[in-house]
Amino acid sequence: MTSEFCRAASASSIRQIIMLSIAAGLFVFIADRTIAANDNRGSQLAAMCASCHRLDGSDKGIPSIVGLDKERLAGAMAAFKSGERSSQIMHAVALSLSDGEIAALAEYLAQPIGTKRR
Amino acid sequence: MKWTRRKFGTFAGAVGLAALRARAARSQANGRVVVIGGGIGGATVARYLAASVATLDLTLIEPKQRYTTCFFSNFYLAGLRSLESLTHGYEALARQYGIKVIHDTAAAIDPVAKTVGLAGGAKLKYDRAVVAPGIAFKFGTIEGYDEAATQIIPHAWNAGPQTKLLRQQLESMEDGGVFVIVAPPDPFRCPPGPYERAGLVAYYFKQFKPRSKIVILDAKDSFFEQDLFEDAWNRHYPGMIEWLPAQFTGGVKSVDVKTRTIKTAGETFNASVANIIPPQVAGELAQRAGLTDQSGWCPIDPITFESKLQPGIHVVGDAISGGQMPKSAFATNSQAKICAFAIAAALTGSEPTAPHLFNTCFTILAPNDAVTDSITFKSVAGSIKINDIFISQVGESDELRREGARAADGWYEAFTHDVFG
Repeated sequence: MTSEFCRAASASSIRQIIMLSIAAGLFVFIADRTIAANDNRGSQLAAMCASCHRLDGSDKGIPSIVGLDKERLAGAMAAFKSGERSSQIMHAVALSLSDGEIAALAEYLAQPIGTKRR
Repeated sequence: MKWTRRKFGTFAGAVGLAALRARAARSQANGRVVVIGGGIGGATVARYLAASVATLDLTLIEPKQRYTTCFFSNFYLAGLRSLESLTHGYEALARQYGIKVIHDTAAAIDPVAKTVGLAGGAKLKYDRAVVAPGIAFKFGTIEGYDEAATQIIPHAWNAGPQTKLLRQQLESMEDGGVFVIVAPPDPFRCPPGPYERAGLVAYYFKQFKPRSKIVILDAKDSFFEQDLFEDAWNRHYPGMIEWLPAQFTGGVKSVDVKTRTIKTAGETFNASVANIIPPQVAGELAQRAGLTDQSGWCPIDPITFESKLQPGIHVVGDAISGGQMPKSAFATNSQAKICAFAIAAALTGSEPTAPHLFNTCFTILAPNDAVTDSITFKSVAGSIKINDIFISQVGESDELRREGARAADGWYEAFTHDVFG
């Protein structure tokens, strides 16, 4: 918010902003706890991936798996699980994960490249 | 109440801070964790603990300044990689993760006072300790082969000077010589390792000393991925490698280090170069700290990797009684992450997610021919059991094997980054 905007705002609009801020703050507070739990689950599952895939977006012989669309990631894992896509290692990994775990993992890995990951 | 711009800013800031505090709450704990051993297990635990709980007082104790990986050291023996390319430091762990790295030896652990005594005299208090001591060798099982003998006939099963010594001996060997590998009984570090070594040394011989032979004197009657190895040896190095199981030889009984003469129950082998990989037990510190049972390995809870013998001390890696989990760098790295999350959960009071233990090994049969195994594990009645296992097959396409070899190089780079930063 610029100081110019603050100067122009009337007292009532400031009150509105305050109320919105409180609501937003509460929303962030509650949502953050849920995100934190899912993020923790996603990051712990992603630790398994980090044994072979670099999570900083670089690819030195094993493809990068970060910053991709989460549906695409989850779809790829489903294809590895069914054997539709062939990879012995990825088939073993995918089989060991539940659909909920794949969703949490895809959510975590889909965050943009440059997101601080382990 | 009249809102001024200043008050508005303060209030908005407070709401924001509350949200930030919620985020920070899960990663704050005032705990002291001492990790002993800077190999794959110790470094991984330290790194993942630091990433999980930012406020921990976390110390990693490792006498060496730099660590050379045992995995991929067969490439060095074949002349395909430098030892330097397999060597890693601890700078990133210290700088990026704030881990206190102390280059000293842990002399003793007092599980009652919860202290670790260092050879340099310091004493460190801990709330949780992690011991990742790797393996020790059971000298004395082969007569004539003791610690001093390793300076003449290397084991080369801890990478570094021993690997260098073996490479020098292979380089000075004359064409037509015999290289004898003595393979250990189960369980031992890196089940495919001795056989991968035979193949990659054969690759070196084929180019520079083509009349030479390799004899493997095994303490076992079969070995991991045997069909894959025997198929590859026939294709790549026909007639060069001879594997002799214990049931044929009666096992290796003694060695005369000066003459490089190795005696089995019924035969004598004169080696030009020898590599004796002795039977193994958990690293020495584990034995001294009362972490081992009569098997020589450390029994652990497979969910937390806490010792079943010494509460508050966790053990990961080759030193554990791993059930059906092999002693490999990959398995160690997988255990270390589960252990780090379990310790983080215990210190912060949060719930760790369901553990997933996994192992994959890239095994190099020839430079463009690599195979893999992929195994998932589950905890059953306090022990680690195989859940699913997938292994490469004899007769796979050359392209698939080349792809495996390319992936192996990428894996080494990503894996060592995962461990050492």
